[in-house]
Amino acid sequence: MSQLVLEKLRQRFGTAILETHAHFGDDTAVVDAGMWRTVGQFLCDDPDLDFDMPIDLCGVDYPERVPRMEVVLHLYSIAKAHRVRLKTRVGDADMAGAELDSLVSIWPGLDWLEREVFDMSGVRFRGHPDLRRILMYPEFEGHPLQRTYPADKTQPLVAYRSEAEAGTPLEKLEPFGPDEGMPFGRGGLPRVAEDI
Amino acid sequence: MPTFKLDGKAIPFEAGDTIIRAAYKHGIEIPHYCWHPGLSAPANCRMCLVEILPKPGQRPLTLDILALDPQSGEYTVKQKPKLQPACYIAAAEGMEVAANSSEHVRQARHDVQEYLLLNHPVDCPICDQSGECKLQDYWLEYQKTPKRMTDEPVHKPKAVVFGPTIVYDAERCVMCTRCIRFMSEVAKDPVLDMRERGNLNEIVVAPGRELDGHYTFMTEHVCPVGALTTKDFRFKARVWFLRTAASVCQGCATGCNAHLDYDPRYNKAYRYRPRDNEAVNKYWMCDDGMLTYKEAHDGRIVGASVGGAASSMAKALATARSLFAGVAPASVAIVLSARHSLEDNWAMLHFATVLLGTQNVYFSRRPDGYNDQILIHADKNSNTRGVMQLAPGAKQLRALVDDVGARRITHAIVLGGDAPVDASALATANVVAIAAHEGPLTQIASVVLPATSWAEHAGMYVNAKGLRQTAERALLPLGASRPAYEQIADLAVALGFARPASKLSQIRTQLAAGVGTDPVSRRGSALVV
Amino acid sequence: MEALDLELDAGELELPAEPMHLNMGPSHPAMHGTVRIVLELSGETIVKADVQIGYLHRGFEKMCERGTWAQVFPYVDRLNYVSPMLNNVGYALAVEKLCGLSVPDRCQWYRMALGELARISDHLTCDGAMAMELGAFTPFLWFVKAREMVWDILEEETGARLTHSFGRIGGMAEPPTPDFKGLCRAGLPKILDLVEEGERMLLRNRIFLDRLENVGAISRADAIALGWTGPCLRATGVPYDIRKAHPYLKYDEVDFDVPVGTKGDTLDRFLVRLGEIRQSKRIIEQVLERMPDEGPLNCDDPRVVLPDKMAVYTTIEATIQHFKLIMEGARVPSGEVYSYTEGGNGELGYYLVSDGSGTPYRVRIRPPCFQITGGLSKILEGRMLSDIVPTFGSLNMIGGECDH
Repeated sequence: MSQLVLEKLRQRFGTAILETHAHFGDDTAVVDAGMWRTVGQFLCDDPDLDFDMPIDLCGVDYPERVPRMEVVLHLYSIAKAHRVRLKTRVGDADMAGAELDSLVSIWPGLDWLEREVFDMSGVRFRGHPDLRRILMYPEFEGHPLQRTYPADKTQPLVAYRSEAEAGTPLEKLEPFGPDEGMPFGRGGLPRVAEDI
Repeated sequence: MPTFKLDGKAIPFEAGDTIIRAAYKHGIEIPHYCWHPGLSAPANCRMCLVEILPKPGQRPLTLDILALDPQSGEYTVKQKPKLQPACYIAAAEGMEVAANSSEHVRQARHDVQEYLLLNHPVDCPICDQSGECKLQDYWLEYQKTPKRMTDEPVHKPKAVVFGPTIVYDAERCVMCTRCIRFMSEVAKDPVLDMRERGNLNEIVVAPGRELDGHYTFMTEHVCPVGALTTKDFRFKARVWFLRTAASVCQGCATGCNAHLDYDPRYNKAYRYRPRDNEAVNKYWMCDDGMLTYKEAHDGRIVGASVGGAASSMAKALATARSLFAGVAPASVAIVLSARHSLEDNWAMLHFATVLLGTQNVYFSRRPDGYNDQILIHADKNSNTRGVMQLAPGAKQLRALVDDVGARRITHAIVLGGDAPVDASALATANVVAIAAHEGPLTQIASVVLPATSWAEHAGMYVNAKGLRQTAERALLPLGASRPAYEQIADLAVALGFARPASKLSQIRTQLAAGVGTDPVSRRGSALVV
Repeated sequence: MEALDLELDAGELELPAEPMHLNMGPSHPAMHGTVRIVLELSGETIVKADVQIGYLHRGFEKMCERGTWAQVFPYVDRLNYVSPMLNNVGYALAVEKLCGLSVPDRCQWYRMALGELARISDHLTCDGAMAMELGAFTPFLWFVKAREMVWDILEEETGARLTHSFGRIGGMAEPPTPDFKGLCRAGLPKILDLVEEGERMLLRNRIFLDRLENVGAISRADAIALGWTGPCLRATGVPYDIRKAHPYLKYDEVDFDVPVGTKGDTLDRFLVRLGEIRQSKRIIEQVLERMPDEGPLNCDDPRVVLPDKMAVYTTIEATIQHFKLIMEGARVPSGEVYSYTEGGNGELGYYLVSDGSGTPYRVRIRPPCFQITGGLSKILEGRMLSDIVPTFGSLNMIGGECDH
């Protein structure tokens, strides 16, 4: 992969670019969260870079690290046929302060992607026109793709149902036991710190 | 501290350390089968071979070999460096050792692994070691090639019963002699030896003897493959379903560190494995201790009872309240337990002295038993010293029997159910017992509240040497049991007092550092030996 | 009596009006794979459309974190479930990129052939369903008949019509059957015949064309800024096809064209897909010429590829290999990678994060139709209610992929 994109970013933003790498051929730059919007705007506007297509936005949770939630943006330029991966990190151990500027005004395609990152990972986007859940229903509690969200957690049934209306007991059965079906070093669920 | 270089990395070592031991202490694993940090090094498996680079100006140690030239198809004499076993060569200042970085070492590891698997039976699906087997791990890391031998593998006896606890499979055995050396060096009973030669080798028990004694489980523990299995654990559980908790054996006052392996799907404990701790149990545990994991499930009290009949917690607490209504604190005794954690005992003591206002503190324990010079302590309670330090004036249970007989004590709140003496005389008193296991005291109690065992709540225990150790929680509380400190808090509320501290963190802050020496002394075994 | 309105001012006869809210779906014949569109209508005109997805969200990404790398294959099958082979191949390529593996040539040709068959199946379904929703039931059945021929070939090869789970890290699950080339060569002309029959019926039909032409148009710039890829983007005139722009497998060694539209409307999207079916046929024919009939299919790295079953039953090394790969999972080197291929709907990307163990740390699936459906509300604004059906149909939103 050409060094052009990473070079220009480093030149222009200096220390705001926390790290760069090009492992497996993917140019990656980690950006300070406060500069997220500025860097994004530069990537779109600069004529040499010309990143006009937003490919993907997702969150990756690293709960042992602070800040824990890494937001990953992939961009592509149709004209220049080059790609970049832009990453930033937000949120402390309880996901406090997990906020980023919305880039919807730069790339409208990020509208739904930012909603998905909010829904699944719990990162709020400042300035998003309509930040609400997209894949989950509005009464859902929690953000499923955070690694501290246990896979066997059951959600309460939608509030308006009464047991008489539902015809069955409202206490949901656990779908499966803890750690079930997870042999060998498969991470396992982080043990909830209990006072016992 | 003197250092030597391993693959370019400087490793510090103490005088007398072998290369493999110095690397092990530093967290680097050189593959091995026959070496064990707690045993002598026989250097018979040859898996730990490393290349020791010659000092500048020194002639390298080489071997003449016949190498096949692929083009000409002829054998020519070549030299290759003579590799040394890292378990036997002492580290020296300035020594340069090439392990992973040497092509010769990689080839040697491949070849050694291939030889070990040559006659190995295809037992993985039925072998208990599967999932924690060095042969499996090293095949994937160092060999990665399929079988080249087309002959029938050598067949040897399988499922040979060595003794009351151990079963041996000669086909799986890699002849590392760890079991022989363990019995000889640590258990001081050289009952195992090797027989025959070459690929007919097998381990045998001395004629006229069985593999018995107090440390037979350790032969299974040191066995790197599935040749030695315990009758207790074989075919019971697959290790990849088991999770582990760093626990402390409750069998005696030595307080051996252990891993308690349990299956979270069924909330069941399946076995103990020793946890390394140089200061307490080195790398070993005794057979009786290894079997005490069963106490997580056997003889457990998991529901409240009133007068011997099962009851609900609410009713039990109500009965306790009525039993203790209007009773003078001077005629109430509390009994601490040498088998319960510091937190449980502290909560009981605090309730008695601060809330109830009684000075009648006793303690009870399991009676003494067998002891030896290796690991086993005569005191079969894990926390005697801890109780003694918490309540120095606590009287023996014998004194309580006397006091009840003389009607000085009419009511008792008992932690645990053990009694070292005949406690049937206590039946005349009104006894509320909070216990995890059935015992003489719970038999005579009017009200029994279920407590969690050591496996179900994190607790601290002080061993005979005064070391305070923490056992982590493994299982979820069984049945209706809850930690004794929570039951005590509920009992206090039922008897009309303000609720005392009932969360682990609160109790630990109050317990402070006054009890037992040293903070938690725990060494997790990062490397499987 | 006099007419009431002759002397009234213009504004006085305005009756009080509120926009009408209409709910389409999620259970609706035209809402492919459960999508709910909440419409604000003014008469028949759509003022605002709120597209609500997520009814088919099954938590794939979370489930991938609970298994091994190889256990992700059944999940990716169920993403774009009308072209599952493309998802399998895309994921296999992503993991191979992380491992630094490249599969033998024979496997690359085989993957291409199966992938293009899947693409044909995808486009047939989309165009057929579009036609059916506009009332043309017969061409739908013809296209489905053609799709059955594709699925017969895939069933012969993989054992399943739809959810094959046929891809593996380092190759495919089974080598091609001896008759694979014969089946394809026999089946493709029949498929194309059916496609042409359907075209003849539809593309000269005034009603059909009127319902598609100039409906749901989007400009190049808008499509790019929305992140559209695949046939929907190519219909706007952008010739971006990953197989041409960033070739993978052996796409740079075969000849094919990239059908491109002009107006970016529904008709263009319909026609682009039909064109791609023909190009896929071309690719498959060339692949069948080039694919060797013998030779290894999978790469032979024992760290990722399962050994031969007879060896597993008889030798300890193969048993150990099998055991380690199944129980612990293939240990993929740690790192992160984004790998992309041309799926049925566009750029199907996988962003994989590995921590060096046999369990994926994070599998992010970049679904092409997620972005595309995100643009639906924009292209529906100002259109009529009945335009929703062909427009939405032309986007080929596959619920499994959009909602993962």
